[in-house]
Amino acid sequence: MKVDLEQLRELIRLLDEANLTEIEVEHDDDRIRVRRDPAAIMQVATQSVAGDSGAPSAEAAAADEPGEYVTSPFVGTFYRAPTPAGDPFVEVGDEIVVGQVLCIVEAMKLMNEIEAETAGTVVEVLVENGKPVEYGDRLFRIEAT
Amino acid sequence: MFKKVLIANRGEIALRVIRSCRERGLRTVAVHSEIDADALHTRLADEAICIGPAEAARSYLHIPAIIAAAEITGADAVHPGYGFLSENPEFAETCAQCGLVFIGPLPEQMRQWGDKVRARKLAKSLGLPILEGTELLTDVDDAVRKAEALGFPVLLKASGGGGGRGMQVLRSAEEVQASFETARAECTAAFGNGALYFERFLDRPRHIEFQILGDQLGNIQVLGERECSIQRRHQKLLEEAPSVALSDEQRKDMSETIRRAMTEAGYLSAGTLEFLLDERGELTFLEMNPRIQVEHPVTELIMGVDLVAEQIRIAEGEALEVPDPPLLPRGHAIECRINAEDPDTFAPSPGVITEFHMAGGTGVRVDSGVYGGGRVPPHYDPLIAKLIVHAPTRARAIAKMRRALSETIIGGIRTNIPLHQRILGHPAFEQGRISTGFLDDLQG
Repeated sequence: MKVDLEQLRELIRLLDEANLTEIEVEHDDDRIRVRRDPAAIMQVATQSVAGDSGAPSAEAAAADEPGEYVTSPFVGTFYRAPTPAGDPFVEVGDEIVVGQVLCIVEAMKLMNEIEAETAGTVVEVLVENGKPVEYGDRLFRIEAT
Repeated sequence: MFKKVLIANRGEIALRVIRSCRERGLRTVAVHSEIDADALHTRLADEAICIGPAEAARSYLHIPAIIAAAEITGADAVHPGYGFLSENPEFAETCAQCGLVFIGPLPEQMRQWGDKVRARKLAKSLGLPILEGTELLTDVDDAVRKAEALGFPVLLKASGGGGGRGMQVLRSAEEVQASFETARAECTAAFGNGALYFERFLDRPRHIEFQILGDQLGNIQVLGERECSIQRRHQKLLEEAPSVALSDEQRKDMSETIRRAMTEAGYLSAGTLEFLLDERGELTFLEMNPRIQVEHPVTELIMGVDLVAEQIRIAEGEALEVPDPPLLPRGHAIECRINAEDPDTFAPSPGVITEFHMAGGTGVRVDSGVYGGGRVPPHYDPLIAKLIVHAPTRARAIAKMRRALSETIIGGIRTNIPLHQRILGHPAFEQGRISTGFLDDLQG
């Protein structure tokens, strides 16, 4: 996408005047988000909803890729397989159905199975097996069917 | 020695704990809700874990999430702060079961002191003076009989209540008959416990509380009193230490009574015994708070102790260093609780803090959990900062506090600073003529 600097300046001014922390404008497939960090550092993130042609910046890497994200409903340890030696519940490329177990998040010695809420294809596994996850951390990216 | 302490709280008290940990060389883990992702405790701790959404029941009050955060970070102890889970015995037990040290009293002690009727009985059996009162009331007829025996006016209280909720002054048998059933239903709804009892009603008493520490070896240290009579709807607003209403002899006698009582009780960690001081100058036990309190800094300033560091030391198994003769208060300290609220209507005032400049200079301490550009979420307590001053005399402490408030700038939200200025500038306050009715009188 092409960044309209004048429009960007206008948004930043608006953010400041209205004392907001974030403004997001969406037009056709383009989306601009202007966000002010509470530490008063201006951060500007631009992205294209329908895929970006440019090299991803640090900000863009954390931004939304197409598809739906499965997030962790609690704090715990992420496991891809039912047992340490077992096969992963799902692999990239697998077709999944609603209710299918995708992984385990262990909290307080309890193995909580995380189930798919949408049907689709697993396109990305975002956490390494055995790593700690926080509430809301993204675990999988799913392309809905 | 602990290596890593998880702080199961937010705001200024989370920072307060981080500070003592850091000075002791301990690593810290903050837990936070989604809305607190940029909060100061989240930013200043060595590690931070998001444990749930903004709603406290699903984050700061959610025991499994907090325990899981301790597990994934390898924390070996948990400090609960005040409020949230600090007085929850199940939380303390769960910590122990999961191999975490809970920095606070034993679960059984929280149960004993958390139930007001049980606490009164225990206090009496330990030799503490208690306000005349009744056993639990069985029904409305029993209530009328007991109120008449005690003498009107009486104060109707809920055994499971707290923060003044569920309390009512009743002046006649007719009022008891009219209020009893409704009060019981309300308390059942609010506390899951409809147990009610009466206490003798004191008109305009002073609220005076004593700070204690107890270690695992059975030592008890009494660290003097705080006066917290400036309250609005039983919520403390401004506290000071020492109290002008106690003589040195009364302070010494009550400290010794408490030391003996709490030694017998085997109390562990920091705690506060709250008393009412009536017009005759008699102190009677009100309740015991088994935790660190919001107003603990005034005690720290006049006694020269770090109460949170002491809590940690005690939890590590170290002995209290109780000096003989006991520490004496030095100078006078005052704390103002700065709340994000309208100074006149007391309506909460959440939002983004656009400007934040806290006072400085000699004898001024600031305990705060916010910063300029940060946000005060509407989901939690409105306390954003505590301004605390220490000076050689009460008059100089008042002057210092007025000066400190005058240089404090908080933009973007409303605060109760104007109300504090009115309190401190009032002749009755300056003369130390205060009671729990002071603020009602001030506001007419």
